[in-house]
Amino acid sequence: MTQTISRRDFLKIGAAAVGALAVGAMLPPKVAEAARAAGTIDSQGNGYVHSMCEMCVWRCGLIAKVVDGKVVKLDGNPEHPHSRGNLCPRGQSGLMNTYDPDRVLTPLVRVGKRGEGLFRQASWDEALDLVASKMTEIKDKYGAEAMVFSSTHNLSQPLFENLLYAFGSPNYGTQRSLCFNAMIVSNLMTYGMEEPERIYDDKLKYIILTGRNLLEAISTSETHDLIMAIDRGAKVVYLDPRYTKTASKATEWLPIKPGMDLAFHLALLNVVIGERLYNRWFVEQHTVGFDELKKEVARYTPEWAAPLTGIPAETITRIAHELADAAPHVLVHNGWRTSNFINSFHTQRAISILNALMGNWNVTMTAAAAEGAGLGAPPQPPYPRVSTLRLDGVPWKYPIVPFKIGVFQELRDNIVKGDPYQAHGWFISRQNPIMSLPDRAKTLEAFGKMDFIATVDIIMNDTAWFSDVVLPEASYLERYDPLLPVGDKAFIRQPVIEPQGEAKSALWIYKQLGTKLGLGDFFQYEDEEDYLRQQLKPLGASLEEVKKKGYAEMPEGEPAGFTWSTPSGKIELYSDTLAKVGFSGVPTWEEPPQPKEDQFYLLTGKVAQSTQFGTQNNQLLHKYSDEPRLWMNARTAANLGLATDDWVEVTSEVGQIHIKLLATEAIRPDCVYMTPGYGHLSKGLTTAFGVGASSSVLHVTYADPISGGQALSQTFVTVKKA
Amino acid sequence: MTEIKHHAYLFDATRCIDCRACMVACSVENNIEMDKTRIWVAGLGVTGEYPNLQRGTMVYHCMHCEHPDCMSACPVGAYTKAEDGPVSYNPDVCIGCRYCMNACPFGVPHFDYDKGIIDGAFIDKCTFCPQRIYNGQEPACVATCPTDALEYGDRDELIQRAHERIAAHPDRYIDHVYGEHENGGTSYLIISHVPFKDLGLPELPETPINEVSEKVMEMTIPFALSWGAVLTAVSAGVAMYDNNKKKNGKSAEEKKAEEPK
Repeated sequence: MTQTISRRDFLKIGAAAVGALAVGAMLPPKVAEAARAAGTIDSQGNGYVHSMCEMCVWRCGLIAKVVDGKVVKLDGNPEHPHSRGNLCPRGQSGLMNTYDPDRVLTPLVRVGKRGEGLFRQASWDEALDLVASKMTEIKDKYGAEAMVFSSTHNLSQPLFENLLYAFGSPNYGTQRSLCFNAMIVSNLMTYGMEEPERIYDDKLKYIILTGRNLLEAISTSETHDLIMAIDRGAKVVYLDPRYTKTASKATEWLPIKPGMDLAFHLALLNVVIGERLYNRWFVEQHTVGFDELKKEVARYTPEWAAPLTGIPAETITRIAHELADAAPHVLVHNGWRTSNFINSFHTQRAISILNALMGNWNVTMTAAAAEGAGLGAPPQPPYPRVSTLRLDGVPWKYPIVPFKIGVFQELRDNIVKGDPYQAHGWFISRQNPIMSLPDRAKTLEAFGKMDFIATVDIIMNDTAWFSDVVLPEASYLERYDPLLPVGDKAFIRQPVIEPQGEAKSALWIYKQLGTKLGLGDFFQYEDEEDYLRQQLKPLGASLEEVKKKGYAEMPEGEPAGFTWSTPSGKIELYSDTLAKVGFSGVPTWEEPPQPKEDQFYLLTGKVAQSTQFGTQNNQLLHKYSDEPRLWMNARTAANLGLATDDWVEVTSEVGQIHIKLLATEAIRPDCVYMTPGYGHLSKGLTTAFGVGASSSVLHVTYADPISGGQALSQTFVTVKKA
Repeated sequence: MTEIKHHAYLFDATRCIDCRACMVACSVENNIEMDKTRIWVAGLGVTGEYPNLQRGTMVYHCMHCEHPDCMSACPVGAYTKAEDGPVSYNPDVCIGCRYCMNACPFGVPHFDYDKGIIDGAFIDKCTFCPQRIYNGQEPACVATCPTDALEYGDRDELIQRAHERIAAHPDRYIDHVYGEHENGGTSYLIISHVPFKDLGLPELPETPINEVSEKVMEMTIPFALSWGAVLTAVSAGVAMYDNNKKKNGKSAEEKKAEEPK
């Protein structure tokens, strides 16, 4: 970023932060003691500690350099398969999240109006008593279902789930419907698993990426895999309305019209099946429903798809031929943030099926191990039976969306409507729904319906800013989380430094709150280390050894065979499950809505220097981020009399923002793009506040009727000079 | 890794995804202030007209030249070229003259205008992470690179690797290793799919500039002495003028202000 921020120096910040923590310093230095016992840190507080990154959900292994009890550098752990010794810019900047001058370091209780940002400090006892009594009051008055719980995918989530299921609420909001519901539900229907693992070996020859901007939305090892595959000469076809950094490395960039990915993939299926280019042996042995699929895709010719997608019929046919020629060493990538239009579920099904027709199972795709498999866990009683309807419409409106996933935006909508009943309280952990849910005004309205809101976070994120109680969590460099098995190792996240102030781990917070709610039986561990010891028990490894090495050896799971957990036990090209609840059993064309003549598709995407909505306040990432501007095709901008750095007013059906323009060749003329995660409301984020504008203000709420995924690119906007 | 006789970097523009992990890593490793950097992104970025586009960017820091112009230009010997590659800078002897900034063909040395002469340490540039490379670690920027666009090793080996990679994919690369010979050779070597000038790199002759410039610099002391004499004379003249003004009691401006309107 061109503008600079107050000059700071890490060590100075570190020193100041530690200095300010007189209260924390009075506690026995457990972290240092344990680290010394494990031999990772010497008596002066210097050394190297193995742990795991949490700047995104890829969870790279890291080695933290500690000097005088402060973390001064993070390097990738060469032994961890997700990092292989590397870290992305977010991973490199991780210590700045920990040393963020805006950290919340004591529990806070609101004293001003909601959103005014006035809080007083409180002790943990007082804050937790307050949260427990409010939750109990709501339960007694309106039933447990009146408490909403929401959290984003993380390693302590099983304990968060204990909290809500033991409390007895069915209302659980996760980030998944704002991200990859379409992909997960599609793979469940096709392969009986959420996301098969991808294999990039030396033989991989052909990759189709549908909006998977892998070189900017970095997953360190997979990003490395893709670049190395390109290096070896693999062909990469990349579909995206934007010329992203991934587009610039692809063999072929196809600036497809938004919403038309389904037409493209249906046409590939048409050619592959029509010309009998699929793996006939594999299809006969391992799939069901080929005839229904064949019948359906017969009408989706490349000539049919060409005017919809903007990609010539010959190109589509050629790509189908090239793909089949390279099979089975091909990968049609499902993508990650896959819920873009109301037809995204069918797009994902078409992709899942295309892989099956190429017979690439156990060649470039295989079964992924379940999170936490093979580890021990504390004993716990069964959850109470909950029969109340979920507010998010699962399963009464969304019959095939798994409970664990839910439809978050629908949950929010039904809080506003008070239908089928009114929710009164919200407990949020590691999540910023004010920024992440579409239609921010509506989310604030939902917050207004609440009698009580409590948030667990490390900084004063927007959601914390609008909460009644803020519980300060220890950062990922200050705490333990449950172990994560990857391949034949279970990796540890352990504190590298003492938690600052009175920040506590989620494992501690959930247990204390659970105990105060009378749910202590669901948290049968003394402390974080005891939890990990119970996890390690079946492996026969000691915690000290794991702390030193960074991982415990695990018996590797059986290699995936040729069975799938679908009702038929085979890969389902036609799904009876889908048909039984009234959806098409095979992928079928659904025309997505299109913008009017004076409107643009509003696209959002990822950059390598931020993750979702939670890292914009990191000063190091801020330092190396581009200024967030609205991308518009240069010629379109010129026609509208707009130039780079002009302020523009962007208006959708639900909101309006002002933002600077970037006129660029790198986007389709009918689209505009902005990076999400800017335009924060919280003045407690001194670095991020006042920077850029929020896409969530503009996003209109649409759920894909099958997977419940928010159709994130289905918002149309007008743009004029501000 | 075999023994490194001559430390060097190889940057492959076809692999760089402009993620800036190297920049963050350098900032943290070397405790760089928040408004400063030792690594930059250069190049034209996206060029062409939609939809026929190309992208060319490069990250660069000090090139650790074999014949460093900064060193030749420095009147006090603040720069040293180590036999095993790194060009280092000693803030303790630097007088803040900024000749090195003008001399460097890559625009690498940066002057810290905030600190000024009293605080010392005027110039900032890449150090080659001696705290890492002499302790068996790669430089911070190289170690973290998620796509191996930055590699580290022995200069001769890297030059060989670069030529092998070009030979394996002649359709992909421009057949040239920038820095092998430019300006007498650098320890930051670059291979690319776009012309080197599009990455922001200057076209330099194989003969080091400083073979020419050093001849000029040899003149600097007699030149400075004679120029110093001129300046002394001028300043004496100015002082005399000032004294005369004071004798007159009023400056020209004051006189002007008193003039009738």
